[in-house]
Amino acid sequence: MFCPMVLPAFHHGGVYRVISEGDSFLRTFVSRNVLFPESRRDGSTMKCARCLLQLQCLRLVGQSARSAAQHGALLRSTSSSQPDMLHNTQVLRRFHGSPACAKRRPVPAEFINEDDKKRDKSLVTHDDLFEQVAKEVKTKATFNKVVDVFIKRDIRRRGHVEFIYAALKKMPEFGVERDLVVYNKLLDVFPKEVFVPRNFIQRMFNHYPRQQECGVQLLEQMENYGIMPNMETKVLLVQIFGEKGHPMRKYQRIMYWFPKFKHINPFPVPQQLPEDPVDLARFSLTRIANDLDAKVTVYQLPSTDITESGEQIILPHIVGIQSPSQMQLLAQHSPSRPVFVEGPFPLWLRKTCVYYYVLRADPTPPDEKVEEPFDPERCLAFPLQLDLDLDRDFGDEESFDVEDLDEGPVFAMCMTSQGDQAVLNQWISGLQQNNPILGQVPTLFRLDAGPRELQGPADTESAHQHRTDPGPQREERQPEEDEEPRRSQGAKW
Amino acid sequence: MMNVNRFVVLSKSVHIGQRLLAGNARHAGKEVLHLRQRRSFKTHPRNLAYAKDLFLGQVNKAEVFPYPEIGNEEAEEISQLVAPVEKFFNEEVDSAKIDREAKIPPETLNGLKELGLFGIMVPEEYGGLGLSNTMYARLAEITSLDGSIAVTLAAHQAIGLKGILIAGNEAQKQKYLPKLASGEHIAAFCLTEPGSGSDAASIQTRATLSEDGKHYLINGSKFWISNGDMADVMTVFARTEVVVDGVKKDKISAFIVERAFGGVTSGKPEDKLGIRGSNTCEVSFDNVPVPVENVIGEVGGGFKVAMNILNSGRFSMGSSSAGMIKKLIEMTSEYAATRKQFNKSLGEFGMIQEKFALMALNVFVMESMAYLTAGMMDRPGLPDCSLEAAMVKVFSSEGGWICVSEALQILGGLGYTKNYPYERYVRDCRILPIFEGTNEILRMYIALTGMQYAGKVLTGKIKEMKKGNIGLALGMLGKKLKNSFGSSVDLGLTGKDGVVHPSLAESAKKFEQNVGLFGSTVESLLYRYGKTIVDEQLVLKRVADVMINLYAMTAVLSRTSRSISIGLRNHDHEVLLANTFCGDAFFKNNYLMTQLQKHSPENNDANIKKIAREVLEKRAYVCSHPLERTY
Repeated sequence: MFCPMVLPAFHHGGVYRVISEGDSFLRTFVSRNVLFPESRRDGSTMKCARCLLQLQCLRLVGQSARSAAQHGALLRSTSSSQPDMLHNTQVLRRFHGSPACAKRRPVPAEFINEDDKKRDKSLVTHDDLFEQVAKEVKTKATFNKVVDVFIKRDIRRRGHVEFIYAALKKMPEFGVERDLVVYNKLLDVFPKEVFVPRNFIQRMFNHYPRQQECGVQLLEQMENYGIMPNMETKVLLVQIFGEKGHPMRKYQRIMYWFPKFKHINPFPVPQQLPEDPVDLARFSLTRIANDLDAKVTVYQLPSTDITESGEQIILPHIVGIQSPSQMQLLAQHSPSRPVFVEGPFPLWLRKTCVYYYVLRADPTPPDEKVEEPFDPERCLAFPLQLDLDLDRDFGDEESFDVEDLDEGPVFAMCMTSQGDQAVLNQWISGLQQNNPILGQVPTLFRLDAGPRELQGPADTESAHQHRTDPGPQREERQPEEDEEPRRSQGAKW
Repeated sequence: MMNVNRFVVLSKSVHIGQRLLAGNARHAGKEVLHLRQRRSFKTHPRNLAYAKDLFLGQVNKAEVFPYPEIGNEEAEEISQLVAPVEKFFNEEVDSAKIDREAKIPPETLNGLKELGLFGIMVPEEYGGLGLSNTMYARLAEITSLDGSIAVTLAAHQAIGLKGILIAGNEAQKQKYLPKLASGEHIAAFCLTEPGSGSDAASIQTRATLSEDGKHYLINGSKFWISNGDMADVMTVFARTEVVVDGVKKDKISAFIVERAFGGVTSGKPEDKLGIRGSNTCEVSFDNVPVPVENVIGEVGGGFKVAMNILNSGRFSMGSSSAGMIKKLIEMTSEYAATRKQFNKSLGEFGMIQEKFALMALNVFVMESMAYLTAGMMDRPGLPDCSLEAAMVKVFSSEGGWICVSEALQILGGLGYTKNYPYERYVRDCRILPIFEGTNEILRMYIALTGMQYAGKVLTGKIKEMKKGNIGLALGMLGKKLKNSFGSSVDLGLTGKDGVVHPSLAESAKKFEQNVGLFGSTVESLLYRYGKTIVDEQLVLKRVADVMINLYAMTAVLSRTSRSISIGLRNHDHEVLLANTFCGDAFFKNNYLMTQLQKHSPENNDANIKKIAREVLEKRAYVCSHPLERTY
């Protein structure tokens, strides 16, 4: 049950990786009715049924605005002469969902039908429909238009399953894969009440399996994109597949798990990352540091300069972060041992990768560590230590046996768009204003080749070996660690 | 029926009379013994300690029974002194005005000086009143009627000039005390710095010896200095370089600094919640030349001086709070008797009655503790009563806060307005748990001092037990079993050689039982935590609370026994209060000690720490809003 919770969900996109795994995990369980006890399901369906009527009435009113927006583009492009009528037909159709009624409804916009018939008599796949309608721009409006075209072409909605599959596939192309309204609209393509089982035999066997499967597929795609269905989805599903169909079950599972996992990531990455590189750097650095005391400093804003010779110089941004405790650590650092500027290290934020650099030192060797002697005259009020020869009893030992690895302190971090030594030197001299010790400590630059594509572990290994010979890929590449002692040009003494 | 009753009463009174006589006789006998002891103590420094012994489960009854008394001459002297001071405070001090204008008017200060209140404890040869700790506590009862004046006086003599008084040499005393005692000069105590409360290591003010070796130059600034603006003589603590075993070290030294030396500047007075009439501000020292002969004690010995000053100044808070609440009881009972609600006076309602009982109980306990401690301090020798004084301070500051708040509650909305003095009392009172060492720090002091003492004694035994000495372990087990089967602990407070009056026997038994359990609890804590108990603040807090309750019970039992024995007026009321308090404290102690015997996951300590950790990590309240939804 808690298996999905343990998954490392801290990183980018972890949220719905966890969710989908949770769901597949769940599938095996839920099919045995473990997680949805009878009472719960009944409760939810009861409530659903009650909602149904209410919602339909509401939609009569509420729909007008939404549908107007949805079909706005369509209406405009088709320059329909009877927008009101079109609207009404939709509402009516939904209200009287049975196919019998549908036959008697007014014929929808003649104009479109004629147009489509002329052009698409020989329609092979529905992919083509998408390609044809949205020739130039692929937007939500054109996507909606395609759906509308399909709906209006045939009263019986022939081939709607294929159409929905095709539409699902095309959604990312149109950039509507995270749009709940579009999913609901797509679901609306299914004819209503036809697939609802009417007797126990139908209910017992898989009624209209292809359609149900298609419905589940649609919900699964929503799930994969982390889109939570709403009440409208539920009403549609009930109208199309009935209260106990597979899509409804799927809906219930999503509604069970999604809210539970919505805030599972304690370090959520916003859906929309800041555009400005400085803001992005600020966001990323605070995210890595995870210290409320840490202060972000912008050492240089990005700008372009033109020199006298007419050359264009692009000044990269330099954004750094340092906390007071890091400053204190740095102040206590022995000037005889060097500090290192290392990087770039990648940080993934959803689909973006940014790189950062750290200023760090090796751990203090054990013989150099000075323990502060205990001063009995430290506290004016009470003894800070008891002069007793008794240790803590095992029974009250509540700490775990953890092997501590001395890792060496990290003194500061920075992000820049151009990680060469000159730029990083600027960062270090910026840091020096608040950390005067940096003037005395030798600073060594140990820089990798710049940002590259993410590589597998094997690749990194080889890249590491590569670095020893002078690589052609970057001019400002620094010599390697093993050369350090001899090297002085990279060190700032 | 009537006859029977009368008979019972009669027989009782005879009985009591007999007891009284016996008690008196016994008491007199003790007195003689006590006097003899006194003489012998003069040569041998006292090493007996009452509070510390409680940690071992022992009651050192000779220390606290009988309740300390003052001699007849002293009693007469105090009554002569108290009357004019009381008159002055009732007639000449306008507390509302002092609070409003945030200043004590000069004529009030002059009045205080004329009464000699600036040199209560300064010996007569230096022009002070030369009163004992007990008498000082008695006067504090009255001066506390105005918080601002009380704090001004306390900052002047309880800490400001205390350094000269207890650690200064003859020349320093001759030079400074007369003017300070008369109030011509006002003293201040400058220890706290921006970065430090009780942390001596963060004292940054520095005193460097001048080239000619005649002066120290003091540089630095001190925060929250009471009387900082008007003080002429200051006890200043600063770092000095001292050579210890050939190694140069920074140590704290105490200096007498006169404002007249030059270079002393004081900042803007702080705008405070309460005690608004008292002056608190920052004091800066810029190359202030202080002659070397103005070092108090020896160079580098400032830490001890500071500790001694702070430890000796606290005991009077018990009587101050008591004095204040006594006044509040008078005012609120007047109101409760006259105010009618539903055709009943306010005093007839149970919940209001409870508040009065609470106030009376608190005053009674505070008074008992304060005068017991003052009496112990007045004994010859150099009694170390810092533990007791700290307990008095913690108990009375918290009790005072509760009582003042309940007094305001009796008046309801009226109490909340500025038309009545209650809101001022509430504001003034809020400083008590904060200054002179916060209650948290004092609790640490109480618990750790006791633990250190008990640990020294018990280390050997505990080590044996840890080694697996079966005989010892079985003995412990037997003792525990015996205790759990309800055999009461007998520490000799009652019975044949008892010191507690029989009408308090039951309370005394409860006290003994608590002490016994406390002893074994301390032992098990030492067994469990050893020296790491320093980091177990939640455990230490409980230890300190039990300790405070035990000391309070002692004080109450001792005082009431004396009152019954010598037949003080209304001693039956004292018996009532004493038994009520002891019963209450008994339950509280048992609860606290049951928690102490548990491990941190069971007594909620682990949870409490975790909650705090998570909140502090976020630096905000962690939970989502109850109205938030996820779908």
